[in-house]
Amino acid sequence: MKDDYLWDGSGECDPEIRKLEMALGRFRHDRPTPRFPAVAEAARRVRWWGLGRAAWRRVFGVRPLPAFVTVSATLLAVGVVWLVLRQSKRTPVSLVQRPECDVTRLAGAPRVGSKAIGEGSGAGKLAVGQTLVTDSSSRANITMQGFGEVEVEPDTRLSLLEAGSAQKRLALERGTIHAAIWAPPGEFVVDTPFAVAVDLGCAYTLHVDDSGSGLLRTTLGWVGFKLDGRESFIPAGAVCATRPGTGPGIPYFEDAPEQFRAALAQLDFPAAGAAERSAELRVVLSQARQRDALTLWHLLARVNPSERGGVYDRLAALVPPPPQVTREGVLRRDQTMLDLWWNKLGFGDIGLWRAWERSWSQGENHRN
Amino acid sequence: MRSQVDFHSSIGERRTVSAWPATEACDDASLVNAAQEGDRTAFGRLYERYARMVHGILLARVPFSEVDDLVQDVFLLALGRLRSLRDVARFGAWLAAITRNRAHDHHRRSRELTESTEDSRQAEAANRGPASGEGNAEAEDILAAVRGLPEAYRETLILRLVEGMTGPEIAARTGLTPGSVRVNLHRGMRQLREKLGRPDPEKQEPGAGSQESE
Repeated sequence: MKDDYLWDGSGECDPEIRKLEMALGRFRHDRPTPRFPAVAEAARRVRWWGLGRAAWRRVFGVRPLPAFVTVSATLLAVGVVWLVLRQSKRTPVSLVQRPECDVTRLAGAPRVGSKAIGEGSGAGKLAVGQTLVTDSSSRANITMQGFGEVEVEPDTRLSLLEAGSAQKRLALERGTIHAAIWAPPGEFVVDTPFAVAVDLGCAYTLHVDDSGSGLLRTTLGWVGFKLDGRESFIPAGAVCATRPGTGPGIPYFEDAPEQFRAALAQLDFPAAGAAERSAELRVVLSQARQRDALTLWHLLARVNPSERGGVYDRLAALVPPPPQVTREGVLRRDQTMLDLWWNKLGFGDIGLWRAWERSWSQGENHRN
Repeated sequence: MRSQVDFHSSIGERRTVSAWPATEACDDASLVNAAQEGDRTAFGRLYERYARMVHGILLARVPFSEVDDLVQDVFLLALGRLRSLRDVARFGAWLAAITRNRAHDHHRRSRELTESTEDSRQAEAANRGPASGEGNAEAEDILAAVRGLPEAYRETLILRLVEGMTGPEIAARTGLTPGSVRVNLHRGMRQLREKLGRPDPEKQEPGAGSQESE
């Protein structure tokens, strides 16, 4: 590519790019480093009392303030915190870890345990171990402070498993939820009967039917879906099914050609024999577009060894692998090489998933 | 070698004093480890290194008038969650994901468009940035054109053209591969030229096809 100047500013200066830099530079970040030590702790208290960003700006400001103003504002915030703590009789620890979530009624009368949240009854609470149930005319909204929100559709049953400061975990037994998460990746987890969904950032819909089969549709960011050693990554615009006894299937983009999707369904949860399977695979490979590299990457781990070469060749034609990835390594399913190729696809950094996976596995070992 | 010492303390916080060389010899992992142990000076250094990335990612998604507040929000959120980050080598990618999440949450709350259209260009014009003037109006039009590009291209171009980060720096900070960043810059620039009605140098040179390395 003849774009060295665009790449790293080297080589001959491109006058047009230089003009763009001069024009757009006025939008550049130019604020000084905030005073984190004094600000962060008090800001956390300010947020939890619902004062919000406007109060944050009034108290701490965005631009640097004269020192006496900064100190005065800090002392004021500290004083507020001390007074409220003294009056509320709650300890700082209980403020840091809220073992419950707020539940708001959107329609009908959703129930938490035996208690209905009806019109006029105000917001409810969903504590760890409790179950939220909506009937055919009820809907609810779960707010998780510092994590995001989950909208609960009718005919849904879910439980709160964990509500710590570092992770929120739900169990969706049946029904549909829409999750909008702004916590860091890996901190919001939903168990379904046959897969675990891990938010990697940040909006998706998850449905589970009465048989335990599920469907996850990502609308923003991407989501990891896992059962035992079977993992699927679903970026925005893609969906992934999960079936009893199998776990997460192969993700695909919803705008993929119909023949592609139909053939993939036969490969994913097969009912056909070897001959039909071979025909279905040919359809998938021939119809795959560049963005369907998502599907082909997952197929590498799901096809038989004799089929893997064909999948590799087609995927490599759509998205050439990075230099460190070899055909031989992929055919023997070298995970490091597969991960490097995944990152090349541009759907998200798989390192975030691997880091979560390690910590989750360690947690499971401790729990067992 | 210059030392940075911060004696600030707050409720329930350990006093931590550290002296960091002013050079880039301290890698991010060391700073993240120190910050996880409560060293706010180390976190301040991380802010210095990553604020432009966060600012640029937000600028690609939210109105200019909201960006500075959201930069603060992102770093406060990261500070509060830093101990949950297991792989310190992924700090940049982790922070970038938090930033995109925060931008999405902001949109959801304010019910604004994420993709630039003619309507949103007018709305963007209503969110005046730096001091107004003819040059500023042109700059805002250019920014709106960049924000109208596909997400991967607009984010990378903003980091390069607005925040002044080089391609290698963008890759190092965001966790994207250098190859992906280079492709995003190249293709994004071509689309931006089309939007701005400017000639594409590659099409003007006879016999010069696409020379993308990937």
